[in-house]
Amino acid sequence: MTDETATTTNSVSLDAEGLASSKKYNLWRDAFARLMANKLAVVSLVLIIVLLFLALFGPYITPYDFLSQDLDARNQPPSWQHWMGTDNLGRDVFSRVVYGARTATIIAFTVVGISMLIGVTLGSIAGYAGGKVDEFIMWITTVVMSVPAILLAVVASVSLRPPMGRWMENMYFLTKIQIFRQAYWVDLVLLMTALVLVLWPTYARLIRGQIMTIRNQNYVLAARALGVPTRSILIRYVIPNSLGPVIVAISAGLGSAMLTESAFSFLGIGVRPPIPSWGNMINEGLDYWRDSPHLLIYPALVLGMMTVAFSFLGDGLNDALNPRQWRD
Amino acid sequence: MTPLLNVKNLQTRFKSRQGYIYAVNDVSFHVLEGETLGVVGESGCGKSVTMLSLLKLLPPAARIEGGQAIFNGKNLLEMKTKQIRQVRGAQIGMIFQDPMSSLNPVVKIGVQMSEPLRAHLKMSKSQAWERSAQLLDMVGIPEAEARLHDYPHQLSGGMRQRVMIAMSLACKPKILIADEPTTALDVTIQAQIVDLVRDLRDELNTTIIWITHDLSLIAGFVDRVMVMYAGYIVEEAPVDDLYDDPRHPYTVGLFGALPEIGSTGQRRLTTIKGAPPNLESTPTCCPFVPRCGYATDKCHTTNPVLQPAPDAADPNHRLACWVDIRERRQA
Amino acid sequence: MFRFILQRLLWWIPTAFVILLFVYSMLFYGAGDPIRLIFLRAPGDVAWDPDRIEAMREKAGLDRPFYVQFGDYVWNLMQGDFGNSLVYKRSVNDMIRVALPVSVQMGVAATFIVALVGIPLGVLAAFYKNTWLDHSILGGALGCWAIPTFVAGPLLMIVLVIWLGIMDVPYGWDGLFSTTVIVPLLVLAFRPTAIVVRQARSAVLEVLGEDFIRTAHAKGISNWLVITRHILRPTLAPVITQLGIILSFMIQGAILLEVVFGIPGLGRLVANSVVDSDYPVVLAVVLMGSFLVTGANLFVDITYPILDPRARQTQVKDE
Repeated sequence: MTDETATTTNSVSLDAEGLASSKKYNLWRDAFARLMANKLAVVSLVLIIVLLFLALFGPYITPYDFLSQDLDARNQPPSWQHWMGTDNLGRDVFSRVVYGARTATIIAFTVVGISMLIGVTLGSIAGYAGGKVDEFIMWITTVVMSVPAILLAVVASVSLRPPMGRWMENMYFLTKIQIFRQAYWVDLVLLMTALVLVLWPTYARLIRGQIMTIRNQNYVLAARALGVPTRSILIRYVIPNSLGPVIVAISAGLGSAMLTESAFSFLGIGVRPPIPSWGNMINEGLDYWRDSPHLLIYPALVLGMMTVAFSFLGDGLNDALNPRQWRD
Repeated sequence: MTPLLNVKNLQTRFKSRQGYIYAVNDVSFHVLEGETLGVVGESGCGKSVTMLSLLKLLPPAARIEGGQAIFNGKNLLEMKTKQIRQVRGAQIGMIFQDPMSSLNPVVKIGVQMSEPLRAHLKMSKSQAWERSAQLLDMVGIPEAEARLHDYPHQLSGGMRQRVMIAMSLACKPKILIADEPTTALDVTIQAQIVDLVRDLRDELNTTIIWITHDLSLIAGFVDRVMVMYAGYIVEEAPVDDLYDDPRHPYTVGLFGALPEIGSTGQRRLTTIKGAPPNLESTPTCCPFVPRCGYATDKCHTTNPVLQPAPDAADPNHRLACWVDIRERRQA
Repeated sequence: MFRFILQRLLWWIPTAFVILLFVYSMLFYGAGDPIRLIFLRAPGDVAWDPDRIEAMREKAGLDRPFYVQFGDYVWNLMQGDFGNSLVYKRSVNDMIRVALPVSVQMGVAATFIVALVGIPLGVLAAFYKNTWLDHSILGGALGCWAIPTFVAGPLLMIVLVIWLGIMDVPYGWDGLFSTTVIVPLLVLAFRPTAIVVRQARSAVLEVLGEDFIRTAHAKGISNWLVITRHILRPTLAPVITQLGIILSFMIQGAILLEVVFGIPGLGRLVANSVVDSDYPVVLAVVLMGSFLVTGANLFVDITYPILDPRARQTQVKDE
């Protein structure tokens, strides 16, 4: 006799508040399991963790300092002493690529983080309040979005540079903190500001759309009819259900921010040498593409890999959080 | 009398992530010309899959593992795609449950209706268009000519189903398979659709296989009824016989769940306890055992075979059950 | 219909004004004008003493207060004049007149490539889902997408010029039908093609799972008819509207591409002008860009209902 001719139903128990909670089934656990089953996504996740590790600890463990020059060993191809060779000033390419990871990571995560903050705040207000407030906020996003992104970012970063420079000088005089002296930080802040400016409307619209959809769902109406307080509705219903697309957008945003940063650095308006960014390394390497292609190839390879990794992770997250079970 | 359609030992299964789903198990039945066969069973019992198998309309994950389906002297299951295309629509028509999703939303009604006419009857565009208008008229759609230029979303549910019916009967097929055509409609519209099909059947002498999960719907409409469960046929009888003398515990349960007109409302509607079966393995016992109130030891060890029911009023009353429930039933 | 278009275009005007104000202020208060910028970059350089700078600025009218300069600009703009370049002393209208056709040609040609290559590949991938064909198409698309423009360009150059030796270094602009334009065109098309492939594939996959495909088969019509009329037609709407958006972005001029390959389009124009803070030029390009984006959105809103009848405003008829 077959053991279970009835389908296994999920055991349902009542927790302390008398609300049924399912022990076996949990959206996040389920999604996590699905994500882990996706090999591409797992590999990507591993790569990203490696990236984070390198960003945090890399510069301390690389064999060479990324700034130190060795003019006797210029443009060397990869060897045992220099795993990725040396560049035109004798600097070790590998160490610079690792430092580039730090640059890329700081920028990507900060940009996405701040954009999310702004976007979620404004988007939630718009989504929940509706009416004129919503219209106004949406109008602002339309205005910002109707300017081509790269254009806006380029204009912003270039035009804000001089005043930013002056401000930094003043701050240094006031506080004597070294940070304000370094051009590196000016570059970073400028670039991040420009990128945030361009990125936040996308997130705002996303959140707003999610909130509006969820607000009208039957289960929210039912909760309100039962007298569940608004705070609880927000925390228990609206936010958990809107996180899905947001998580996917974050992953995509990270990859895209990295790519944009390197594009800017390539153009010379992002992170400028000698601080390594994969973008400006590619720019410098371009001049030597015939004789020393390794200068170009390694940062490009790493950049490409990380972009792909974020893309696959994003896809994996999307599949994990939005299962289309019957589509197999 | 040779049956118009004779299905023997049909076996269909689906490939799933964990293994297989045995959707249709050893199903054999026949349909005579001009008769109306009702197929009853709950969701997932295999009634749709059986019919889809005949026309090779299954999704890619499905595989017909065995059996034959003789229609017009040929085995449908062995036909190549090109051959079966000539059967579809022209010899055997099919209508589906949800008329909204079953019609292409971006193509005009007239075009969709013309397609089978042009493919099978080789009509020209204008001929097909004209005939389509006549067909829409036949199914009771007002302003038929104008409707041809509409898109599916512009019509109501009942009207869309009428369009589906008209479309499927366009080439006057010998058999019409109706897969729960009224399930997605309002009750009043349901009755209209059933009446419409009945009239068309009488006029065109079409053989009909009508799938439903609603017993009350088919009472005055079909000639014979086939009850399915877990991919097996569990009972089969002429309609009056089935209603008067249901023999399978499942059938009894289905009837018990129906409210009766004229009852005082004191009787509780009986429910069949338990949950639908897990189809991921072929049971070595009767698939209905967990929910059956009459199960014996034999039921737990051997799968019943479809045989003529003992002492049935009609010799065509078949039953797959080891138990004679007449003794065990309360009055 | 016309009212709708007119409405949308009119709506763009306040938007454009706000953008204008915003960007103008950024440039004005940020980098300042080009003359001052030169001074800022090389302070203390003997040749540029402050008085001379101020005199130059006064002559060019750059020392007037913000609202005066801005008002002047807007007034000229309303008459269709983008002003004069602060750096080259040429009419911006002329500069744009030269750069715009280049960008438009590149954009249109690239969009053609994207459509002709991307859509069929995406459809194929969907039909042969999960086979090696599907995986290689998707993999190829991913590769095209992940390689940044400024990397793909040089790489392609390496391959075509050095390894295969079929062409000279593609730099400069020779018109649309010369060999120098092939590499940048291909590179420009890479990423959008990848996007279109994925999008076409998922649109087709979604349609393949629909009930009406089963109905179409149940009618016994030919496979060809099922594919063209029932599978492909519903996918037209999202794919074509996507192409519209892609076209507008392409025309704006891929800045990176034009810089790398020396193509005199809008992108290079703006790249150079931004660095010099030549804001009439920058503003002109930004305005045009935003106009194109609005136009693209308008295009989407107009064509979508044409391609997908469900999006039209019609009444549902009852029984």
